[in-house]
Amino acid sequence: MCELFAMSAGQNYTAQDYLPVFADKSRTNISGWGIGFFRAGQVHIEKSCEGIYAGDQVHDSFQRLARVVDSRIIISHIRCSKAGHQKESLAQPLSDHFLDHHWLFNLTGDFPKAAGYRSPRPIIPEELLAARVFEFIRDGMEAQLQDRHDLSLYQALAVTCKKLITDYPGEYIFFLANETVLFAFLNSAQVLIYHPPEVQGESLVLTTVSGGLTRDPDNWRAYPNADRSRGQILIISGADLLYQGHL
Amino acid sequence: MCDLFALCAAHSHCAATSLPLFAARGRRNVHGWGIGFFRQNLPVVEKSGEKVFQEGRLHASFQRLARVVASPIILAHIRYRSSGQVDECHAHPFALDFWGQSWIFAHNGEAGAIEPYLSRHLPLLSAGSDSARTFEFLRDYFADAASRRRHTPFLQILKEALIGLIERYPGEYNFLLSNGAFLWAFTNHRQFLLLRGSQKLEDALLLTTIAEGLSPENWQKISRQEGTWGKILLIAGGDLVLAEDLLPPAVEAIESSGQDLPGRLN
Repeated sequence: MCELFAMSAGQNYTAQDYLPVFADKSRTNISGWGIGFFRAGQVHIEKSCEGIYAGDQVHDSFQRLARVVDSRIIISHIRCSKAGHQKESLAQPLSDHFLDHHWLFNLTGDFPKAAGYRSPRPIIPEELLAARVFEFIRDGMEAQLQDRHDLSLYQALAVTCKKLITDYPGEYIFFLANETVLFAFLNSAQVLIYHPPEVQGESLVLTTVSGGLTRDPDNWRAYPNADRSRGQILIISGADLLYQGHL
Repeated sequence: MCDLFALCAAHSHCAATSLPLFAARGRRNVHGWGIGFFRQNLPVVEKSGEKVFQEGRLHASFQRLARVVASPIILAHIRYRSSGQVDECHAHPFALDFWGQSWIFAHNGEAGAIEPYLSRHLPLLSAGSDSARTFEFLRDYFADAASRRRHTPFLQILKEALIGLIERYPGEYNFLLSNGAFLWAFTNHRQFLLLRGSQKLEDALLLTTIAEGLSPENWQKISRQEGTWGKILLIAGGDLVLAEDLLPPAVEAIESSGQDLPGRLN
């Protein structure tokens, strides 16, 4: 299974304490990786089709990027061989501009039926399941918010996610972020959240990696979702989990 | 009645057009004004006990600040005294620290019941008004809940605090609360007017209590729904991220437990 990572903070931070552990614990996923972040309102994504581990070392570029990338929101994805493709351009995170923001998106799970979605505005032409889901989310949110300035982003996303799991049943976990807000959606498995001690700065770390990314798994709070037909959305901004909403 | 204003964007913005309009349309509020924003996560508040509009002219300092202040989130308040003295100290916004962060707060409404409230935490605000006590009450609730921060969503604590506030100190509450990263707005009486994508004002999300809005555009009215205790808005990055009803305590308890309620999204 591909693995997801996200970090959110009230100001620019590096994820150097967590990204190498994320890579280490995902070392069996050998089909590529990506790190996405925001700088001056623009999205930056660095990705690779190489394994996250080379020999007994975390990929050299990944290690260096972990030390250098600083942003209020950082998202990373490590691709498993089940993904079925090796091209660098198809690694996650993905990005697109809609609803007046640049957005980053990464996804894991099991959702073969989503391949059937045909967007009028494909992000990429290749048969990439994550792209089809991202397009579905984008198209759905845009449709919800068209001429509805009183509707919230959460409401638009919640309606769209409900439609996603109804029209294309499967197991989904994804992170969707603009430069200020991070949404996490899951209808299966769990997302783990860690609030580091204040001496390490004000941030919040999310991952799908079992046991979390620190020595003590008890420091991580699990947000599980057993019912595939319902799902839940977490809203994170700065160093805070602001809301947990069940569909 | 006082009036509130907020600008929220993904990046730093000036409110050079909308702030003077806010002051002009809120000129009946003659007991002071204030502008609050954040610089490197620290609150900056400029306020005055003087009239924001006098002899047909905008207060010179307000006008200059409107041109100069630039921040992703800007709050402003124009005061019509219902509690406390008329001076700079009683003008809004106020600033306090809790939840590991600095916050600014501006309020309108009448809540005389909370004036005797004695805060259990320091510092105390020097103003002797219902607004100052309301902010201290919220600060105290979050301070007492600090150990739950790692596992409780912020909105859950805020709802608990608001229910406690309204149960113990019934009154009219309408406030803005921001840590510089995001903005909470709450009302249990007056409506908020919200505008995005203005062609005439700043290209940001604008929020005000001025009944006619600040421009002849499509301002959305947001108010408490019948049967609820108020409306809570979460605004960040120039977007309305979440709009939630504050439900009566018994219903809120069912909602928190995850049971189904009529009208829930499903």
